[in-house]
Amino acid sequence: MKILIPLKQVPDSTVRVKVAPDGTSIVTEGISWSISPYDEYAIEMALERKDADPTTVVAVVTVGAARSRDALRQALAMGCDEASLITADTAAPLAVARALAKVVDETKPDLVLCGKQASDDDQGFVGPALAELLGWAHVATITKVVPVEGGVELWREVEGGHEVWKAPLPALATVHKSEKEPRYPSLPGIMKAKKKEIPEKALSALGIDASGPTWTILSMEPPPVRGGGKILKDGDAKQIAEQLATALRDEAKVL
Amino acid sequence: MTAAETGFDLTLTEEQELAQRAARDFATEKVLPRAAEIDDQGKIPPELLREMGALGFMGPYVPERYGGSGLDALSYALIVEEINRACASTGVVLCSHVSLAVDPILHHGSDAQKEKYLPKLARGEWIGCFALSEPASGSDAAAMRTSARRDGDSWILNGTKNFITNGALSNVAIVFAQTDPAQKRKGIAAFIVEKGTPGFTVGKLEKKLGIRGSDTAQLIFQDARVPAASLLGETNEGYKIALSTLDGGRISIAAQAVGIARACLEDSLAYAKQREAFGKKVADFQAIQWMLADMATEIDAARLLTWRAAALKDAGEDYILAAAEAKLFASDVAVKASRDCVQIFGGYGYLKDFPAERHYRDAKITEIYEGTSEIMKLVIAEEILKE
Repeated sequence: MKILIPLKQVPDSTVRVKVAPDGTSIVTEGISWSISPYDEYAIEMALERKDADPTTVVAVVTVGAARSRDALRQALAMGCDEASLITADTAAPLAVARALAKVVDETKPDLVLCGKQASDDDQGFVGPALAELLGWAHVATITKVVPVEGGVELWREVEGGHEVWKAPLPALATVHKSEKEPRYPSLPGIMKAKKKEIPEKALSALGIDASGPTWTILSMEPPPVRGGGKILKDGDAKQIAEQLATALRDEAKVL
Repeated sequence: MTAAETGFDLTLTEEQELAQRAARDFATEKVLPRAAEIDDQGKIPPELLREMGALGFMGPYVPERYGGSGLDALSYALIVEEINRACASTGVVLCSHVSLAVDPILHHGSDAQKEKYLPKLARGEWIGCFALSEPASGSDAAAMRTSARRDGDSWILNGTKNFITNGALSNVAIVFAQTDPAQKRKGIAAFIVEKGTPGFTVGKLEKKLGIRGSDTAQLIFQDARVPAASLLGETNEGYKIALSTLDGGRISIAAQAVGIARACLEDSLAYAKQREAFGKKVADFQAIQWMLADMATEIDAARLLTWRAAALKDAGEDYILAAAEAKLFASDVAVKASRDCVQIFGGYGYLKDFPAERHYRDAKITEIYEGTSEIMKLVIAEEILKE
């Protein structure tokens, strides 16, 4: 089975995000970048298939800035077999999905696993859009994939249990979580990754339609500074409960 | 003009950065949360070492054909810094295993010895140790009393080794013994001795101030018979092997010291930015800022010395002076940083509930083992005076 994971390089979760002076973007100078966490789960899920069946081929691709090569190298070091980069400084989500559809046409994976959303903009757009463009079966927010006769079983967590869907291949799923935590790249994995070529193409050279509905960021603002807490201590339990209910209703406006 | 074009380039390569990141993520997520428990229990969970082995940390610069990761000494220094930033006990198990057991086999072992031992050691399936010090000989290693006597196709070892890091944990020990006392240094030989060799036992375990999770054991040899094939190098090469091994080991102890010092700085920064006194953050007081500024500057300087020594080793150049300077300076930086860390934490710094006191106890050993600071100065003086 060949599994393709489109991944996105995002600011690392430890980065303290700052709004840039233009007011519509974040400061990217000097920050560290990572593979988006849900994409890491997708990689882990695919590599677990590869552990079980070594004939599995796991490929990763990204549409992004040249620095995204580091994220691909990291995925190779984790154990992925192939990686390719489509460079674009900016790309509308639909253009990204179209570019990925082109990659799928060329590389013919049996299964595409996407993170359910990228941790930077949290849109969750590209996975379903790609399935739509390909005309493939799509199951969202899976936690497990099991190859079965005639396709794959895709498990989803639901309230109090899980659902099991069956899809013929090829299929696309978005990943909520893998069974195990994403593995660390091993040092031998890093050395193997070093020897692999990462072919690169410009998004503009793919000949895809970059039009379509898109959006513009009007402004970005940091969240308001958190005010201090309030301790209710005057009165007995009943009075304090009343004060709490009043504060939640009138001040916090959550009741 | 880029840094590379000037010919002076401190940029890490892509794989060095990946190795650093893998070690940092692993150390932060898997080692750091257990560091206090490791110190308290005096024991490292075996699965932690197994996981480090599986990730390739236990043989970073062992070539791939011997089951290693095939990286370089600088990558190893980066890994050592990250693991020690989280836990100096786990860090010293790594340093001793790689620098003092794997390294001499890699550089002085026969093909058969390399094939037999390196894959197991590099994958962390076996742990190694280095048995040089004795009750009456530490820095003065040539005064050792442990003897090796040839008997047919075997050597018979007798004597006691002291202060052996990983001594109890190890499956294999590099043991130094005198084959001909009249020859003094030239009579010392090195042997690869496996745990389970009849006559070879582990004696008492030392109770220590710091690095309490790593074991420090006495190794006892009573007519321990090892095959002739366990001789490492030639019979007269033991002393040379010991010294050159320690030269390399110093780079890893320097990296360990940088890791401990970084833990002091990072923990101090976090605490000083959050703790308030006299109506403002502790970090707003200049007295504290100066301590933090000194720590940051000295850590950078210590790291650069360490990287230079590792880079010289990778380039195949003489690194004796560089390694001694790095170890002397970095260990001093770690001890000072740990003292200031406790001071910044104030009363809390003295409590086991906070990491500062652990850093304070862990840092001190870096000025003592693998050559004391006084021995480092001897080495440095000898190097700079010999021209």
